[in-house]
Amino acid sequence: MVDAARHPKVDVRTYTEVERVEGFVGNFKVQLREKSRYVIADRCNGCGECAKVCPIEVPNYFDMNLAPRKAIDVPMSQSVPLVYSIDMDACIHCYKCVDACGKLEAIDFSMEDKLVWEDVGSIVVATGYSHFDPSVMPEYGYGRYPNVVTAIEMERLNNSAGPTAGNLIRPSDGANPKRLAIINCVGSRDKRFNPWCSNFCCMYAIKNAILLKQAYPDMDITVYYIDIRTPSKGYEEFYDRARKMDIHFTQGRPSLITEDPETRNLFVHSEDVALGRVTEREYDMVMLNQAAIPQPDADEMSSVLNISQSPGGWFMEYHPKLRPIDTPTDGIFLAGACQGIKDIPASVAQGSAAAARAGRVLHAKEWEIEPVVAVVWEDRCISAKGKKCGLCAKACPYGAIEYEVGKAAHVVTAKCHGCGGCVAECPHNAITQLHFTDAQILAQIHALLAEKPEEKILAFRCNWCSYPGADLAGTSHFEYSANERGLRVMCAARMDADFIYEAFRLGAGAVLYSGCHPQDCHYITGQRVGARRAERLLKAFEKMGMTPGRFRVEWISAAEGDKYARVINEMQATLDSIPKEKLLEEIERLRPQMEKRARRMRETPQVEKALEYSRELETAMTGKEV
Amino acid sequence: MSHESSETFADQVRAIPGGEHLEMCYSCGTCVSKCMIQHKFEPEYNPRRLIRKAMMGMKQEAFGDKTTWLCSACDLCYSACPQEIHISGVLLAIRELAIQAGYTTFLKTAVVDELTCVACGLCVEVCPYEAITLVEKPVMFRGKAVTVAHVDPNRCMACGLCAASCRSASIGLPDEFSNEAVIENLWEWMRSPVVEVTE
Ligand SMILES: Cc1cc2nc3c(=O)[nH]c(=O)nc-3n(C[C@H](O)[C@H](O)[C@H](O)COP(=O)(O)OP(=O)(O)OC[C@H]3O[C@@H](n4cnc5c(N)ncnc54)[C@H](O)[C@@H]3O)c2cc1C
Ligand code: SF4
Ligand code: SF4
Repeated sequence: MVDAARHPKVDVRTYTEVERVEGFVGNFKVQLREKSRYVIADRCNGCGECAKVCPIEVPNYFDMNLAPRKAIDVPMSQSVPLVYSIDMDACIHCYKCVDACGKLEAIDFSMEDKLVWEDVGSIVVATGYSHFDPSVMPEYGYGRYPNVVTAIEMERLNNSAGPTAGNLIRPSDGANPKRLAIINCVGSRDKRFNPWCSNFCCMYAIKNAILLKQAYPDMDITVYYIDIRTPSKGYEEFYDRARKMDIHFTQGRPSLITEDPETRNLFVHSEDVALGRVTEREYDMVMLNQAAIPQPDADEMSSVLNISQSPGGWFMEYHPKLRPIDTPTDGIFLAGACQGIKDIPASVAQGSAAAARAGRVLHAKEWEIEPVVAVVWEDRCISAKGKKCGLCAKACPYGAIEYEVGKAAHVVTAKCHGCGGCVAECPHNAITQLHFTDAQILAQIHALLAEKPEEKILAFRCNWCSYPGADLAGTSHFEYSANERGLRVMCAARMDADFIYEAFRLGAGAVLYSGCHPQDCHYITGQRVGARRAERLLKAFEKMGMTPGRFRVEWISAAEGDKYARVINEMQATLDSIPKEKLLEEIERLRPQMEKRARRMRETPQVEKALEYSRELETAMTGKEV
Repeated sequence: MSHESSETFADQVRAIPGGEHLEMCYSCGTCVSKCMIQHKFEPEYNPRRLIRKAMMGMKQEAFGDKTTWLCSACDLCYSACPQEIHISGVLLAIRELAIQAGYTTFLKTAVVDELTCVACGLCVEVCPYEAITLVEKPVMFRGKAVTVAHVDPNRCMACGLCAASCRSASIGLPDEFSNEAVIENLWEWMRSPVVEVTE
């Protein structure tokens, strides 16, 4: 931290919060609230004379409120920058500090918060995590029994720079504890509170046990656990070391802690799972390894930054394996526990990676994006004519569409990732996607269904999952019906209802609507946009009386080649089970409805021309007039 | 490429309402140390191990396990289970399967003295386990169709509430919990010398 503060190219803004973020990769504008310290940073030299004379003491939150600080103080002696600040809720305005500061004249009671705008090229979010409050679990007595402390309180009590200068004492009577219980998974792996594993508690339980055993060799330490997890380099060896030091590990999650009201000693009730027997052991002190939880303002930060959150509230990475540092918003990166609980080595590794990713943006004069972006036909957008709509903006997982009644919707190209959801959602065909225009896709549909359409299975596949899934079926030699005709779009979100209607209008035997499983979607929520539409289509076709199975919706991953082949074969079986005349009769019967629904498509710019071209192509290919 | 799967013991337990989610148990043991039956009555009582037996397909062992027959469905453990498993539901599902397989409880359950029972129905009212019904049956010396209380031994938990409430002492627990044995115990306790309580 000191090195960063000294670096000529690093500007550390402490006591400052991000209020708003505008713009896009390489061109962000960030509004900062610099909170008032009531001390002028340039004048304060950190001498601390003010704190000496201040008569007001408040609990020091940095020491988990186990020690006091003054109303004018720094949270800890290593604070960077070493600038004092006044806690105005506690200050009684005696102005003794002003006198003590004297000629430096650093204290300014009239100071106010400052709002400033900064231009930045990229943003790294590293806001970390917070701690679960175990007092909501009455069975452990935290808050009622003074000698039940949290792990983070123990970190302060056992720290040479902490309130007791590293002398571990128990809160009830100041005695050194001789028997300590450490309880893992307090509020973690617990469906009632936080279902996740908090990742680092096993290791810091072992660390604290070893540190305490080194300092107090006679101390009897037991770690209660459900499972001990030591998955990184050297961690299992560390666990071995603890066992060699005679630290006890008991498999069993305590159900209750009781207290002897006189001695204030604690009784931990737990099954010793290895013995299959219930134990009740007495301790002088208990440490609760409370769950790590997202910062309380994580929701707010995610909307300020326009980044999404995984279930549970952690910030979501672009892709868990391939782009774990990036967010779906270009130019914003994640580091540390805010993305998912991780220990210091993993946080530092991710921090370095995020710095490198952020640096790439800063060094680039131009930023390359995929060319498959969306473009609005402004004259067709009804919002430009003063009507309320905004369906496109609602479908966009990236917030790339600026929408305001009275103006045509506008795609911020730098933010668009090209899923095509907006294009398919627009009921007025006022948006198109470059390289995947309605005209291009319709021309493909016409070409694929040119001959004997009633025998064909037209398969819409997404670029990332079901298309590679079909590929895998091919390379693995899983046989599937040769009547299948595949058509690639970027995402299930792009699979416009009009395409499906048009395919059936042309007489397609069956149509497959396929994409990624929702959790694999490469466009955050693109699959869900597509899935909702597919649901509507299924219902509509059912109502029309279409034979079930002629329109099928399947989510198939890139690894599920076997599933792809099976689905196509099942669809072929469905087609085979319908007598030919009956199928043709059904196609004819439904054609007018399909025609009506696909009508608008024809008005889309370029469509007629593309279809004319594909008709010529068909004539050339088949030798007959269409 | 679907596979025929045969039904496992765990599936059978799951199929009984209340028996779902047993596979979520990660053997933390919270339920075991929470349970009052384990604590006060039967040290071998272990719901965690019984769930494990069900998951591992150890049917006979599960049916013979005391835990199968002792759970009183107080649900103290339910609110403590971090996996939110309705443990008593699983235990009772296993008991149900055991009964279907012809097993019976090892508890010494309540018995009715049909010669004196007047079928007032008080015991039916008080039984927390709905184990008692009034039935019409032939009773020697009394007639061909006499209405008397009937105890379903697989539901009775031998708590003795019926015995305590019966006004004609017509229902009771056998042996060490019979009315006579309990009274004898009380006498012994009252005759025992007074113990000085020292600080
Ligand atoms: C008791 C305990 C012991 C541990 N011991 C170890 C150990 O021995 N070894 C180990 O490897 N790991 C240990 N850990 C884990 C370690 O704490 C984390 O891995 C690490 O802190 C994660 O670093 P981070 O930078 O991502 O987040 P944090 O350390 O949480 O840092 C986030 C920072 O962002 C600031 N911040 C938050 N929100 C905002 C905002 N909106 N604007 C501006 N700033 C903001 C916070 O004030 C904080 O300074 C322990 C954890 C606990 C609970
Ligand atoms: S408390 Fe729940 S998870 Fe733990 S052993 Fe019992 S049933 Fe399993
Ligand atoms: S419900 Fe059954 S297993 Fe659970 S605490 Fe009560 S008696 Fe014990």
